[in-house]
Amino acid sequence: MKVEQINPIYTASKDVFKKMFGWDVEKGQLQIVEEIDTRNTTNVSIGITGDLKGTILFSFPEGFILKIVEEMSGMKFEKVDKFVASAIGELANIISGNAMNGFSGNDYNCDIVPPQISLGESTTFTTATDKVLLINMKSQDHTFDLFISIADNK
Amino acid sequence: MLWKDQYKIGVELIDKQHQELFKRLNSFLIVLRNGKPLEEKMDEIEKTFGFMGEYVDVHFKSEEALQKKVKYPGYEAHHKIHEKFKQDIVSFKKEFEKDKYNEDLIMEFSGRLLTWLINHVTGEDQNIAKYVPEGGVKVES
Repeated sequence: MKVEQINPIYTASKDVFKKMFGWDVEKGQLQIVEEIDTRNTTNVSIGITGDLKGTILFSFPEGFILKIVEEMSGMKFEKVDKFVASAIGELANIISGNAMNGFSGNDYNCDIVPPQISLGESTTFTTATDKVLLINMKSQDHTFDLFISIADNK
Repeated sequence: MLWKDQYKIGVELIDKQHQELFKRLNSFLIVLRNGKPLEEKMDEIEKTFGFMGEYVDVHFKSEEALQKKVKYPGYEAHHKIHEKFKQDIVSFKKEFEKDKYNEDLIMEFSGRLLTWLINHVTGEDQNIAKYVPEGGVKVES
């Protein structure tokens, strides 16, 4: 994976959180892992097709998900239900869509497939690459994970 | 769903329409999430989905008229986003008409609607504001 294949995803995450909620997002630790093995309970997987192929997976802890949806709705939520999961799925969809615009600026024409949302701890996902980049992201005293598994398909 | 003054783009009609969308969706979410059986809130649900379908069309027309007036360079892309969203509403309404008491379907669409609307108003719509001349511009409803 090259820098120009990763930066648009991080930049899109940062921009969307800032615009929608006024929150800063910081990039934490970067790791290369063998597979996508999540530690959080709400995971949104977005498939990429076109000049690049693969998956972006957003792995969120429940507390952060609830905070995001509370910020948007002005209402209190006790648990991640269909409404909350769908709102977060759309957020991941928006970030990934914006990242595709960033890719096109780097001469990669790509598209995304609708988000797949899975709830539950320690979920493993199949990937298009041998190695997966894991970025820990920090915002509002919460940490969430971004798994990126992208291969050139030109 | 909370309206914030920072969402204004500086054109009275558009800002009022955005506020109306937020207000209606907010009232809808309060009813939707009140814990009562679906049967008791079906009137409000149907009313809101009906309103959304019609008002979104009116609002998108106003917004696109503004974009043409200020020669917004992102008009085509923005128009495509509007059309895609209108198609999503039509598809949802078809599903909803077939299966009105499917709570998962209603919750799923409503969650998506909330995020979509906030992102659109705080993202794409703010880009138009950069082309609005100082002192504003008048757009007919």
